[in-house]
Amino acid sequence: MGFLPEMDDALSSESLSALKRNFGLTPKIYRAQLLRPDLVDAQVHLLDQMLFTKGALSRVQKEFILLAVSAENNNSYFPALHCQTLQFLGIKPEQSQQIAIDHREANLPPPDVVLLNFARKLASEPHSFTDSDVESLRKSSFTDEQILEAVLMVGLTQLLNCIQMGLGTEPDFKPRVIFPLKEVNPAALLERQTLEPEFTGDFLAADPDFEIVERVRNGETDAFGELVRKHGRRVYRSLLGILGKPEETEDALQDAFLKAFQHLPNFEGRSRFSTWLVRIAINTGLQRLRSQKEVDSLDEENEEFRPRNIQSWMDTPEECYSREELRRLVEKEVMKLPVKYRVALVLRDLEELSTEEAAAALGLSIPGVKARILRGRLMLREAMVPYFTKVSASKS
Amino acid sequence: MISCRDFISELGNLLDDDVANEIREQLQAHLAHCNTCQVLYDSTRKTLHIVTESGSFEYPGPIAEPLVTKVMDRIRAGCQLPNNDAQES
Repeated sequence: MGFLPEMDDALSSESLSALKRNFGLTPKIYRAQLLRPDLVDAQVHLLDQMLFTKGALSRVQKEFILLAVSAENNNSYFPALHCQTLQFLGIKPEQSQQIAIDHREANLPPPDVVLLNFARKLASEPHSFTDSDVESLRKSSFTDEQILEAVLMVGLTQLLNCIQMGLGTEPDFKPRVIFPLKEVNPAALLERQTLEPEFTGDFLAADPDFEIVERVRNGETDAFGELVRKHGRRVYRSLLGILGKPEETEDALQDAFLKAFQHLPNFEGRSRFSTWLVRIAINTGLQRLRSQKEVDSLDEENEEFRPRNIQSWMDTPEECYSREELRRLVEKEVMKLPVKYRVALVLRDLEELSTEEAAAALGLSIPGVKARILRGRLMLREAMVPYFTKVSASKS
Repeated sequence: MISCRDFISELGNLLDDDVANEIREQLQAHLAHCNTCQVLYDSTRKTLHIVTESGSFEYPGPIAEPLVTKVMDRIRAGCQLPNNDAQES
């Protein structure tokens, strides 16, 4: 909790919608300002105009500026939030992290390096900033409009950083990089960071398996059998949703539990044991799949999926088939989905994990996992159309 | 008034019943006059119902005791925790 109370209500629907669309949640920095919702609206409008909307600079370039300048200010809050946002925009967390630490070593295109040199200097040494700095951007083919937007983005970041520091808002996500960086060896710092998004919140607070896990860790190996019995079905379902073959799934289930046992000393309790276990199971399943054939990339991607087959469905489509027929049909069509959408859908809609748990299990941001779940659902809907439309009913 | 694109971007939240009342009202207002999104929403909701009720990928019954035994046998066979793997082998 920061210095002022954080609230969930009182935000206008437009602001709520814009924040959820761009961050997947209402960041704490805005929840901490809801004594004055009108001023939050004004800031969200500013974000919408200056950051969320593509201008002369791309959205990603503007996010890079926000990330690099916040890091320059030793601010841990915004890098944590915007690493997640950049992941949603297709930038790998490792690269965002490196931009925060040292953008010159982040494998960026040369013009973006010059852009971030410019932004960091304006933020940290405004008194020594001259027209030669502006010229450096022109030499890299930036237009005056882009230069203006770069200056404005630095100014916006300073405003946001100042508000966050004044409110003492704690990060929405566990920071990948804890600032200040300048006094420490960045290499040593890297070693102590987690490369996986970790989420804070009530769903992590109480782990019903805590006691059994502790018994196993204290040497009571047989207690692990209780965890196998308790979570076996969930692990099985996650694995079958990836692999599709029951026999292979049983082997993979054994492997997954064995790995979980072996890595139990490394389990730090930052997520629930069951979430951690599902994550291990998913990795086990994907490894098997990779050994058999090329797996489509699990990286984020942004291409839009447009539903095509828009025909009215029957009122109660499930009544046209037996449960067994429906099970076979769903399994057949789910297995045809690309694995990244399939896994997200299995976790959310078959395992019925919460969005937060599915995100943690897949190592994705909440917006990222939501996008995959929706894509999976829409693709599956598309595949189901021939079986359940009114036309298909009249044919049968 | 929201667009079809806005509607689809919020569709996942609507299906999960994770939208603020004001947004829900906007989405419902859109559905009232957009037949395409109405069909999309209805068919996706029915898809989800079929998926969740289908029992797909379920393990038949409680996890079988022989499977638990197999897992525990493998664990006991290499009973040490990973830091000791090298010494074990």
